[in-house]
Amino acid sequence: MLKHIKSATLAGAMALVAGAAFAQDYPSKPIEVIVGYSAGGGTDVMARTAAPFIEKYLGDGASLVVKNMPGASGQIGVTEAANADADGYTLGTFNLPGMMARTIDREAAYDRDSFTYLANVVNDPNVIVTTKGGGLDSIDKLVEEAKANPGAVTVGMSSLGGDDHFMLIKLQELTGAEFTIVPFKGSAPARTALMGGHVAMGILNISEVAEFQEELNVLGVATEERSDFAPDLPTFQEQGYDLINGSMRGFIAPAGLPEDVQAKLLDAFAQLETDEEFLAAMKATANPVEVVTGDEFKTLTSDLYDLAKGVWEATPWN
Amino acid sequence: MYSELLHALPEVIGFSNFAAVIIGVIAGIVVGAMPGLSATMAISVLVPFTFGLEPLVALGLMAGIYNGAMYGGAIPAVLLRIPGTPAAVATTFDGYPMAQKGEGGFALQVAVVSSAIGGIASAFALMLLAPPLSKVTLLFGPSEVFWVAVFGLASIIFLLGGNPVKGLISACFGVFVSVIGADPIYGTDRFTFGQLEMLDGISIVILLVGLYALPPVIDLLETPLKTDGVESSKLGTEPIWKAMPRMKGFWKTWLRSSVIGIWIGILPGAGGSMAAFMSYNEARRSSKHPERWGEGEPEGVAASETANNADTASALIPALTLGIPGTAVAAVMLGGLLVHGLQPGPMLFRENPDVVFGFMWQFLFGAILLILLGGSLATNSFARLLNLPRPLLGSVIIVLMLIGVYSIHGRMFDVYLMLGFGAVGWVMDKLKFPLPPVVLGLILGGFAEENLRLALRIGRGDWSVLFQNTTSLILVALTVAVVVGPIVKRRMIDRRKHAES
Amino acid sequence: MSNRLTRPETLTALGIVVVAAGFLVPAAALRPISALLPVAMLVGLIGLSVILLISDQRKAAAGEAAAPMSKSPTRVAGAFALIVAYAVATDLIGFYVSTVVAVPLTAFLFGYRNPLGLALATVIVVGAIWLIFDFGMSQEFPAGRLWAA
Repeated sequence: MLKHIKSATLAGAMALVAGAAFAQDYPSKPIEVIVGYSAGGGTDVMARTAAPFIEKYLGDGASLVVKNMPGASGQIGVTEAANADADGYTLGTFNLPGMMARTIDREAAYDRDSFTYLANVVNDPNVIVTTKGGGLDSIDKLVEEAKANPGAVTVGMSSLGGDDHFMLIKLQELTGAEFTIVPFKGSAPARTALMGGHVAMGILNISEVAEFQEELNVLGVATEERSDFAPDLPTFQEQGYDLINGSMRGFIAPAGLPEDVQAKLLDAFAQLETDEEFLAAMKATANPVEVVTGDEFKTLTSDLYDLAKGVWEATPWN
Repeated sequence: MYSELLHALPEVIGFSNFAAVIIGVIAGIVVGAMPGLSATMAISVLVPFTFGLEPLVALGLMAGIYNGAMYGGAIPAVLLRIPGTPAAVATTFDGYPMAQKGEGGFALQVAVVSSAIGGIASAFALMLLAPPLSKVTLLFGPSEVFWVAVFGLASIIFLLGGNPVKGLISACFGVFVSVIGADPIYGTDRFTFGQLEMLDGISIVILLVGLYALPPVIDLLETPLKTDGVESSKLGTEPIWKAMPRMKGFWKTWLRSSVIGIWIGILPGAGGSMAAFMSYNEARRSSKHPERWGEGEPEGVAASETANNADTASALIPALTLGIPGTAVAAVMLGGLLVHGLQPGPMLFRENPDVVFGFMWQFLFGAILLILLGGSLATNSFARLLNLPRPLLGSVIIVLMLIGVYSIHGRMFDVYLMLGFGAVGWVMDKLKFPLPPVVLGLILGGFAEENLRLALRIGRGDWSVLFQNTTSLILVALTVAVVVGPIVKRRMIDRRKHAES
Repeated sequence: MSNRLTRPETLTALGIVVVAAGFLVPAAALRPISALLPVAMLVGLIGLSVILLISDQRKAAAGEAAAPMSKSPTRVAGAFALIVAYAVATDLIGFYVSTVVAVPLTAFLFGYRNPLGLALATVIVVGAIWLIFDFGMSQEFPAGRLWAA
């Protein structure tokens, strides 16, 4: 009996030592970062750009390996990350509001409590654009036209249940105007249809129109402060419309990470915000950076879930 | 713009950048020539790897692979009737009969010369006409693109083969497969049975490898012959300069197919296979002896191979200027550009002229290098490989099919799906159901539906939106002409015969 | 009478009808506009298969013998089973192990028995794949689900 207790204490002590050693050693092997999109997509570029900086801040020769698991708008990858071992050796990329909207509009094998929220890194705000020569060259004129002829203004955007869609819902609720949604497969085809005058208006993200400002009327940006990508572009708040919305990308780990590992990761991610070299690299790949870590990121996700849930209950999109 | 084009040249002919193109072309030919491996797969594997490379080295590799693979796909298409890439399906029509007649070597020479010509024409279009051609792309909204797809689907009629009922079954099957996945507008699941892997639709490469490569592999194992029918001695290769005079009558086909390929390339979504099918049909239509087509007519190989290379560089026109790639391969390449901070758009040409114009030069060099690298040497060495004992060749192809399909998305699900299509393909092959309508149906069915539904959204449910502008009406007229024309022509010939007798 | 129904084309036509009709069930749950194209294709498949069935039965009635699908069905079934087994093995015990076994095994079973040739082919194929994909491009193939658990 005594022997048993002895060995149990010993085992317990050993486990404690091992646990401490674990945190000190972390990371002792390569960390896998699961990206839910193909190599070369916006999320993939973010992960690959951030990886060397995270390695630097984790120190001790840490190494991050990006693994692409594309499919189902990122759902395959994020499901894999949510269900991985919570040991800090599997991280994943996370997109908002998409990942939360998927838990509402289809069956998902994860929910908002499945994750340890590390950091949101990119916040790409929405913009409203209209075709050149269409006459709708200000947000006031646009809203006026949509109110006078409900449904006559066609809106090109990427798929339903994404940030573009929620932006339009917010605009409709705010103004009472009514639009006809034309959901293209992705932003680039929507932008092209807009340039060709096949739709009247578009909801895109600032990074997607930064290179096209001469070809389109960009009416405003949905942020509190003006964006670095187009400093001359007024926000909607400046123009009297309280619209804040955007597409976000960040990093998560499975829920239940050991506390010290979590602290170490959070610390590494938090340092991205002030790293000039990182900021420059992100700007070159058209990723507007806004670092939000830990609990704040979790709150942000929860808020977006509630928004999506509310929209879904009022006007389900499929 | 043209001075910037010249300014970019010295950089491109630097050692490492030029070597990248050469390596790319060789790798591309090999990948294309291996049944099961495709250009899409090769470039998706390459993209993450290029993170650490200089932009022009990375882009040179990609340009080389793309050009090389579009020709490489012709090698197994001619020798084994397995198209190495989706765009080489039309090459099998006359290429394989030629090989059976002992003209395989000549077929491959026609293929390499035609590929190079198509590629060069396309590179020039990209270099000199990218901005104006991107304006043409803008003319095509959803309703116009819908009509382009219908036009393409109408050409299925010419691919039905001997038994129209079986041909139509094939076409319906292809179109049905194209609707599997998320609904294009609402995103709801259609026939995915809860499998997330099927939500993005079924990749053409998976279907193609299953339908086209598995049945021949089973055949290789079924009949225990020592070697395949095509032997290098019977390949009939002679030096390429000696073969050139036999091709001098092809210039009309080369010209026509180049134009078709470039045009299809600038329209987003349709891609190389449609270009090859259309150019094959047009070439046959204007041939003096259409009855020889399908029996080993070298001009058929020329038409298909010119067009599938002519849409390589031109597919990058909408990709670079508008961010909408013209083919699946161009879509993957766009990712490669993004990795190097090259954002598509009108500013791209102003902000990074050396890289963008350098990339264009690399396409041109890639196309020219095809003749040198893809000539007799490459062709002969591959023909030798096919002389392997049949069971061995079969088992090697099985391995290639598995890695080719697995590597696209990195998942076994696709491999099982491919085997399922393989079983279907084997039955179709034995019962003489034609395979080309399946391929065209898969490529164009979902594409037509998506654009029709977008057009209806824009027209708020009013179908007349499909006929509201000139571009649409021209396309409708063309489609009607293609479908009704041959029937009217045959009637008139019959009537004349009647009157004469 | 029964062998009239086991003609390959008749069986295929019946198979298409059954499968297409089966797919009509989930199609019924879709929105009309979403169901338009798939239902059109399924109905098309059913209609065309019925035509195929009738024409094949007419041939049968005329006493025309159906061509057999394969000269040696056992070899075909064996080849297919081997390919499926190879895919499953890759999934479960890993790509390299399965390939090292599958390449020589397939060739051997189907009539190529030269041991030197088999060994050489296996080494070249597996070696080249490892060198290009794993070593050169750090591309991973399935490591085997059995080991991961």
